[in-house]
Amino acid sequence: MVMPTIRETLAAWSRQISERYESLSMRLRRLKDPAHVDLAGRIGLFIPATTAILIIVLILTFLWYESMPILTSDVGGPAIFLEPTWDPNRDLFGIGVFIAGSLVCTGIALGVALPVGIGAAIFLSEFCPSHLRDVLRMIIEMMAAVPSIVYGLWAYTVMVPWIRDSVYPAVSSNPLLAWVPFLQGPTNGYSALAGGLILAIMLLPTVVSVSDDALRSVPRSLREASLALGASESETALKVVLRAALPGVGAAIVLSLGRAVGETMAVLMVTGNSLTIPYSLFDPCYVMTSIITNQLGYAFVFPLWRSALFAVALVLMLMSICFTAIAKVLIWRGTRIGAVV
Amino acid sequence: MYEYRIEVKDLNTWFGEKHVLKNITCYFEDNSVTAIMGPSGCGKSTLLRSINRLNDLIPGFRLTGQIFFAGSNIYDPDRNVYELRKRIGMVFQRPNPFPMSIRENLTFGPRLHGIKDEDELERIVEDSLRKAALWDEVRDQLDSPAVHLSGGQQQRLCIARALSVDPPVLLMDEPVSALDPISAGKIEDLIVQLKKEYTIILVTHNVQQAFRVSDQAAFLYMGELVEFDKTKRIAVAPEDPRTEAFITGRIG
Ligand SMILES: Nc1ncnc2c1ncn2[C@@H]1O[C@H](COP(=O)(O)OP(=O)(O)OP(=O)(O)O)[C@@H](O)[C@H]1O
Ligand SMILES: [Mg+2]
Repeated sequence: MVMPTIRETLAAWSRQISERYESLSMRLRRLKDPAHVDLAGRIGLFIPATTAILIIVLILTFLWYESMPILTSDVGGPAIFLEPTWDPNRDLFGIGVFIAGSLVCTGIALGVALPVGIGAAIFLSEFCPSHLRDVLRMIIEMMAAVPSIVYGLWAYTVMVPWIRDSVYPAVSSNPLLAWVPFLQGPTNGYSALAGGLILAIMLLPTVVSVSDDALRSVPRSLREASLALGASESETALKVVLRAALPGVGAAIVLSLGRAVGETMAVLMVTGNSLTIPYSLFDPCYVMTSIITNQLGYAFVFPLWRSALFAVALVLMLMSICFTAIAKVLIWRGTRIGAVV
Repeated sequence: MYEYRIEVKDLNTWFGEKHVLKNITCYFEDNSVTAIMGPSGCGKSTLLRSINRLNDLIPGFRLTGQIFFAGSNIYDPDRNVYELRKRIGMVFQRPNPFPMSIRENLTFGPRLHGIKDEDELERIVEDSLRKAALWDEVRDQLDSPAVHLSGGQQQRLCIARALSVDPPVLLMDEPVSALDPISAGKIEDLIVQLKKEYTIILVTHNVQQAFRVSDQAAFLYMGELVEFDKTKRIAVAPEDPRTEAFITGRIG
């Protein structure tokens, strides 16, 4: 007897599998009432869809449960969300300071990443010659693959000194800017600005590639309609293409919001982690993810301390959900008139 | 003296190495419809899109010769393309309304060209819709999305949009080939109405349609202008055997 080669065995297997699959699908098709098949499909898809919701609910419940002790205790209570002083040794668990830090860093990050990223996407999809575009897209996608700790190290060694030695001196010696309240110093470079900027750099690849895809899926016929009315290429890009691609660009915004609030390592390394509310871009700050990472290891000393850290995580989670929802509503309102993507 | 007469002189165009239009010379008169006929791929759209310089944006497109519009060559190096395109409107084969409201579709062009006054814009919206025979159907839903209209209504909206910047010339590239016969009929009637005010150049596959609506006709075959004359004459006695073959349906 001749032994079948591996290739023959594999071929036989795949034939068997495909035959079996085909007979099943054919049998389903020949059912008296094909609607049943579709019902099966719907139930089959309903399960994964509800799983996602279930996981979110479970996480929220768990965070809620873990943060109950601090939220119900005398020294804590719901007021901690607004209080600015964090000193577990003196039973002060104000997590407002971290909320403020996170909001400022996220704000800076989005303020930089969205205009730059969407601008870059418009350049890539509307103005860039196609061979250059492929190269740029590849580089941008590589940016997304850089581990955040590497970004953090780079920011630590390059950006922090740059802010200390170049940016701040330039701002404070400029008579027009030196008076602006949120540009006050002094600074050692570790600042909300550094955190926001490194976050922005980390968000860029997502913003650029998701927006670029959305812009490129706008049909050519819309661009031609606009040009034929006498619009210039840039008017067409901004007023027709960007607008038609808004839902997709919005997806980029939502994705980056979530990432910006939740990012940990890089921000931790450059914001200075000082327990003060940042009133200036050059002030150090402390973001929510950082306090959890830094203190969870020894927070077991006081149960309330540990619980307060979970309360921070709860806020983080709720903030992400709210941001996503708000962004979705804004996008929905912006595109009610109908968009093609 | 034809103020807006368009004259094409020795036009040759290439896409990369491909020679698409060969030595085209013809003219388009005011307040008349000129039909451009020919089998698929013969260069009808290319000719049309050379007149508003829409081909300029296609990589590898090259053109020699001249096209005169109101007395000046539109391919002059210092010609303002945007101004030119404002004065030569275009309607495409597939309806392509912007994903905006009906009203915004019609104010888009005027706003681009600097009209800010709301009353003026309002007047333009109504005028263009009336000219496109769409006003009565959409007057109560100007703020609803244009993409919710039917295909035929969308195409009339696109005609209204082209008219909104008040161009003396209207290029139409097979404007009814994607529509049902009733919508197509409405748009044909519309074309006949519009020629009172506009110079219309109509690309069409459909010989009967060309005969129904046009005053002059051009027959393109593989990039060459085979026949160009009054429609009546061509319909009765085509000069070139290829035109006759196309009219009688033997090629196309
Ligand atoms: N963007 C382009 N790039 C390269 N070649 C093109 C391009 N557009 C058209 N061509 C070529 O030019 C020739 C003429 O095309 P054109 O679109 O003008 O034909 P047409 O007469 O309008 O055909 P149809 O009736 O199918 O619309 C075709 O052979 C086509 O392959
Ligand atoms: Mg064509």
